[in-house]
Amino acid sequence: MAAEPAYTVASDSETTGEEKSSSPLPEIAIGIDIGTSQCSIAVWNGSQVEIMRNTRNQKLMRSFVTFKNEIPTGGVSNQLAHEYEMLTGSTIFNMKRLIGRLDTDPVVHASKNLPFLVQTLNIGVRPFIAALVNNMWRSTTPEEVLAIFLIELRVLAEVHLKRHVSNAVLTIPVSFSRFQLSRIERACAMAGLHVLRLMPEPTAVALLYAQQQQQTVHENLGSGSEKNALIFNMGAGYCDAALTATAGGVSQIKALAGMTLGGEDMLQNMMHYLLPEMDNLFSRHGIEEIKKIGLLRVATQDAIHKLSFQSSVQIDVDLGNGTKICKVLDREEFEVVNQKVFEKCEFLTRQCLQDAKVEIEDVNDIILVGGCSYIPKIKNILMSICKRGELYSEINPLEAAVRGAALEGAVASGINDPFGNLDLLTIQATPLSIGIRADGNSFVPIVQRNTTMPARRELIFTTLHDNQTEALIIVYEGDEKVVEKNHLLGYFKITGIPPAPKGVPEINVCMDIDASNVLRVFAGVIMPGTQHPVTPFMEVRMPTVDDGHGWCAEALHRTFGSTLDLITVKKKVQ
Amino acid sequence: MWKKKLNSLTPLSSNLRRSKAPIPPPYTTATEFTSKQILSSSPKFKTQENYSFSFNSSSSKRLFKTPRLHLGLPNLNSNLFCSVSSSPAAISHCWNCNAVASGTAPFLACQSCRSVQPLDPSIDYFQILGVEKKYDIKVETLEGKYKDWQKKLHPDLVHTKSKKERGYAAEQSARVSDAYRTLTDPLSRAMYLLKLEGVEVDEEERISDPELLVEIMEIREAVEEAADTQVLNHIQAQIQKQLEHWSESFADAFCSRKYEEAISSIQRMTYYKRANEEIVKKL
Ligand SMILES: [Zn+2]
Repeated sequence: MAAEPAYTVASDSETTGEEKSSSPLPEIAIGIDIGTSQCSIAVWNGSQVEIMRNTRNQKLMRSFVTFKNEIPTGGVSNQLAHEYEMLTGSTIFNMKRLIGRLDTDPVVHASKNLPFLVQTLNIGVRPFIAALVNNMWRSTTPEEVLAIFLIELRVLAEVHLKRHVSNAVLTIPVSFSRFQLSRIERACAMAGLHVLRLMPEPTAVALLYAQQQQQTVHENLGSGSEKNALIFNMGAGYCDAALTATAGGVSQIKALAGMTLGGEDMLQNMMHYLLPEMDNLFSRHGIEEIKKIGLLRVATQDAIHKLSFQSSVQIDVDLGNGTKICKVLDREEFEVVNQKVFEKCEFLTRQCLQDAKVEIEDVNDIILVGGCSYIPKIKNILMSICKRGELYSEINPLEAAVRGAALEGAVASGINDPFGNLDLLTIQATPLSIGIRADGNSFVPIVQRNTTMPARRELIFTTLHDNQTEALIIVYEGDEKVVEKNHLLGYFKITGIPPAPKGVPEINVCMDIDASNVLRVFAGVIMPGTQHPVTPFMEVRMPTVDDGHGWCAEALHRTFGSTLDLITVKKKVQ
Repeated sequence: MWKKKLNSLTPLSSNLRRSKAPIPPPYTTATEFTSKQILSSSPKFKTQENYSFSFNSSSSKRLFKTPRLHLGLPNLNSNLFCSVSSSPAAISHCWNCNAVASGTAPFLACQSCRSVQPLDPSIDYFQILGVEKKYDIKVETLEGKYKDWQKKLHPDLVHTKSKKERGYAAEQSARVSDAYRTLTDPLSRAMYLLKLEGVEVDEEERISDPELLVEIMEIREAVEEAADTQVLNHIQAQIQKQLEHWSESFADAFCSRKYEEAISSIQRMTYYKRANEEIVKKL
């Protein structure tokens, strides 16, 4: 069987953003952009950001891990003879779409026709993922795959920098829940990396933009008035929008919006369009089927890519056993098939602008980045929403996120630049609301999305029943009204509520997000007319849930019904 | 003006519900004392980094109406309104390099060694953001000042400093954020001004003026029944006018120290602001 993996798993407490004690010579943290399909790594070299290249001189490396031999290898060091090699069943990719998700998640289900094994039981546990090795399905996890990949990146950086590398800033999708972030942190810990920051991708781009604006101001000796930029980032797996207000090197994130939507969805749509019976054909997941799906995938991907630069493309692919696809595909067809995807892009952009309370006329620059930024329809959507004829052109769409992450790495490491090029700061906002279940099955936000961080907010709740002595605090993250549609972060019970008519005890729930983005939930009971909490307040660092948390909410509901429920005392005004 | 239709008197939204808690006395050194007592009984809270509670219209209510709810939690803002001033005449020195504070700007960070200083609650939001203590301020100037401070104080920038200084940075930066948020919004700025004068505002208090009540209900119905965005935009424009009107009347009342009138203006602004939010939701 496989050799022991070359890493050890650190304890949970070590995987989070706890800061290290100060050392005399600060190590400059590296910036890592882990994309669904590609990744890159960069560092502040003392005067500017430098993107590191692998031995094959690539700046952008494919995100995959192949389990062919005894030791798995990833896309940093591994050279593929041909694209098809990636699609033989032995290679796991798209781990960013799978990490931290349950087997009830539609995104996981959509991953079932990838050319490796994704199996679901639909009960709210982690999906079963396996690679085909010597005709056997060998199981792994997205965290393990990501960790193997991160080790390769770390080694690359160490060779390049001729020093030990441990601190890193990673970019993450806006829509990631704190549970998903904890999985990324675990993968980093497995790879021996200490996470200094997990930065939503568009905010890394915003930091790079802030630096560019600062340099422009220096050159022109201008006053440096505030500039608003709308950033739209779409890669293979995720799509994000952000609005940043920049002045004097400070980027304040006014709004964030994101969803699981990207090139992979367009690819799947096109594959289904070209071969409608695809899901049935591949459900058996035999070696023959994997080969077929691999062929279709490569041909479709190639066609989509060409359609960004030409108006039509010829597809000619022989899947064997008489299944042949021979078709001319034009750009309009592609846009119709993916109409829903583009509608969602538009919705996301509008939501971001609305949340930021910034008028379109007040947006100075529109920045489009990510692998999908070459798709003409996406450009058109952005330009039409913003009523603009052109987009910001000073940023390389494929390098923006990693460059921003490297800048943040240098800033957060306390590095100074004599020319003021690191005179930068990002003021982050919460991408998702955080709240608890109350008022029946409703989600009651306590920290609203797009709240400036660090933040602390509280709300008062009360009991639903007479003489209710206990209450369940179930914490969720998201922006859906129905509580289950949000991400469960954890739960705990408050006990010792003095017997009283319903509506009398005041249950104070407070949420605190500190500078390291650590979330703590406080809760306690105070009876009217008294000044002291009845029992000591509870302090719980979240998320506390682990894999299989889909079960938990269900089990809680079955066990307790509404007996330990709370209702809000007052609606939030804002 | 609003759609005249009053036959279905639906109850006002839960926003309008009367607060059931009696109005507690404003913060005093006495409550400050109890909060310390509780802090000492739960030492866990002492070690952790704290951020002050925000001062927006929702949580400020919490803060002033039910201070006891905060007792279990450390709350830096609690001494904000206690008129505990650290005798402004005394010369401040940097805790790190002992440099004397320059008198020109609030002493939040040292000019010589750039160390972040401990929180001084006697410096109010207007001083922090360098604007005159009045209602009619140039909001556009706040953002620049706010960002200048954050570049000196933000916790991200003192990552490599001592735990003590990181704590100062967390407090100072949160305070500057609160100052910025409070002063940018006309309503919370108005309430903060009154608070500095020692006047408590119960923004949730039910309005007794029947004319206003009728008007509010009419707005609600008009919004609910609005057929298209054009109608909504029209209503919104009218609400905007009302907001401006009451904003001006607050400014006048505050200047002439007519606090009852000022409070009444604030309550009206609150209602129109909420009505506007409902429209935005529908638009
Ligand atoms: Zn000093």
